Amino acid sequence: MAHTINMLQAINEALSQEMERDERVFILGEDIGLSGGVFKVTDGLLDKFGEDRVLDTPLAEGIIIAAAIGSSMMGLRPVPEIQFADFITPAVDQIIQQASKLRYRSAGGYSCPITIRICCGAGGGSGLYHSQENASWFVHEPGLKVVMPSTAYDAKGMLLAAIRDPNPVLFFEHKSLYRQAKGEVPEGDYTVPLGPAAIRREGRDLTILTYGLMTQLSLDVAEEMSKRGVDIEVVEIRTLAPIDKTAILNSVRKTSKVLIVHEDKRTMGFGAELAAIISEDAFEDLDGPIMRVTGPDVPPIPFSPNLDKAWQVNTEKILAGIEKLAAY
Amino acid sequence: MASKSSRALIEIEAEKSSRSPELLLNLYTILVKCRMCDEKARILFRQGKYKGNFYSGVGQEATEVGTAYSLRKDDWIAPSHRDWTANIIKGAPLKFCFAQLFAKVTSPDRGRSSPAHMGYPELHVITPASSIAAQLNIGTGVALGIKKLHQDSVVVAYCGDGATSFGGFHEALNFAGVHKLPILYVVQNNLWAESVPLRLQTALKDLSDRAKAYGFPGIPLDGNDILAVYDAAQTAIARARSGQGPTLLECKTYRWYGHSEIDPAKYRMKEEVETWKKRDPIVLFEKQLIEKKLLTDAKKAEIAAAIVKEIDEAVEFAEQSPYPEASELTDHIWG
Repeated sequence: MAHTINMLQAINEALSQEMERDERVFILGEDIGLSGGVFKVTDGLLDKFGEDRVLDTPLAEGIIIAAAIGSSMMGLRPVPEIQFADFITPAVDQIIQQASKLRYRSAGGYSCPITIRICCGAGGGSGLYHSQENASWFVHEPGLKVVMPSTAYDAKGMLLAAIRDPNPVLFFEHKSLYRQAKGEVPEGDYTVPLGPAAIRREGRDLTILTYGLMTQLSLDVAEEMSKRGVDIEVVEIRTLAPIDKTAILNSVRKTSKVLIVHEDKRTMGFGAELAAIISEDAFEDLDGPIMRVTGPDVPPIPFSPNLDKAWQVNTEKILAGIEKLAAY
Repeated sequence: MASKSSRALIEIEAEKSSRSPELLLNLYTILVKCRMCDEKARILFRQGKYKGNFYSGVGQEATEVGTAYSLRKDDWIAPSHRDWTANIIKGAPLKFCFAQLFAKVTSPDRGRSSPAHMGYPELHVITPASSIAAQLNIGTGVALGIKKLHQDSVVVAYCGDGATSFGGFHEALNFAGVHKLPILYVVQNNLWAESVPLRLQTALKDLSDRAKAYGFPGIPLDGNDILAVYDAAQTAIARARSGQGPTLLECKTYRWYGHSEIDPAKYRMKEEVETWKKRDPIVLFEKQLIEKKLLTDAKKAEIAAAIVKEIDEAVEFAEQSPYPEASELTDHIWG
């Protein structure tokens, strides 16, 4: 049995069902309990499970994550929330110096099975501190899994997989997709494995590698280009770490042209890593340079509407990138 | 809950007035063991037997032994870089403690962490990181887990005076206070955070004052008085175990040597060092034991000789152990 719900509802459903299924699971974060979350993602969970499983924390991201790390060492499965990716920085010490390294520095004696839910990305004029998409910071750290679904189906399935994963997982939820991403979601239990990319559209002429909010935009552009006789393959990289090199290289070898599209800033963005991988492992298969359409190297995202619009990647910018690459 | 804690406290009061000779000698023995192991670790480093660094706790033994001696196997220790001997007190075999210094494959972390950053999972000693105050945060998380699982283990988390300035100190203790977590925070105030003196670290004279901000007791102690530390720790551990929440024990003490073995500590005045050395926690305790006729020169020598033998065997084991192979570099990143 499946029902049509949006990503926000899918995440709520995943949390509710997993907390029913596994008594070790509990959630913690700012405003998640009494308020049900600032976006209502955790709505109803406090009533259903009580304070023991749904914890409103003090305003301190460091201890939110540390409390999760420590309690996971006791065998629990905490799912802490970072309310906005812009506020993940106070927790970075715990994420990078502790969570990612705990297993390694103890040679497996300790582990850290936590899933950190993070609300990220551009969202209708949210300004410089409610708009950041900084998943790539964490891809650089061995020991952390980093995922960002773009559909309601993937959101529920990947969150369930993340909670059951023995590694620390950073689960990025794009705020613009909470209600926008709607689709059929099984009512029961299922998982979507962390790791494999998704071929959203098959094509022969050119590959778009993308993730997050840009997935749908890329599909829209691919649809437009198909009318012009250019057949585009859209590969959604749902798991940024560990990267699904096989799927990426398979697509590159098939089409010979790659355009990387991401919302996040350009320099040292995820696209830089993808470009390096493709250049190293599929150089002979390329018929053109690896190109990127990305956010600018400008603090994301200035508030005034014209600046906000100028900052963001949109279908026009992607189209321009495709046209340039297709013509090469 | 109330009757459980009252009973625990009554038992502690009774114990205070009738501490068994066995307990006193055991405390003495483990103090001496920590001292001798620490001094041996220093010697081995200076001999070039291992690389990296070592953070000696000589002079501070009573703060470690007094707080950790009576912990159960299931209790947790969250150590910092200067608490290598916490592993010894918790019961880790010496051979693995010295293998840790040498970064051999037989160390608990197979040579991944630096010499003094030793943890011991089977005995619930959390492998530390260099990040200051991080162990307070993780230890607080473990305490949350203990409470959620309705267990009665406790966590003892150590830090220095410098760590009390760190934001993470505030976050950890605040959280523990809110949830009355089963944790004991031991602040080893040795007046120096590497080379930064206390007067530049904080406006406070007693770091235990900080506990008021978190809603639980903070107790300043003579950290070189083993029985004062032991008694205060017993009370705090009983509080924690019976659900009454955290305690901050500020153990005022002194490290004899530099911040690390490569630090000559020239920023300290000789007079200060000499004054504190005269308050050697082991010598102070010996005087009490001799007065009680529990310790003689012969007994002292017997205890020391046994420890020397144990240390020599442990060092031999560590020296003979192989290093980890390069092929295991990428092991244990993922589960």
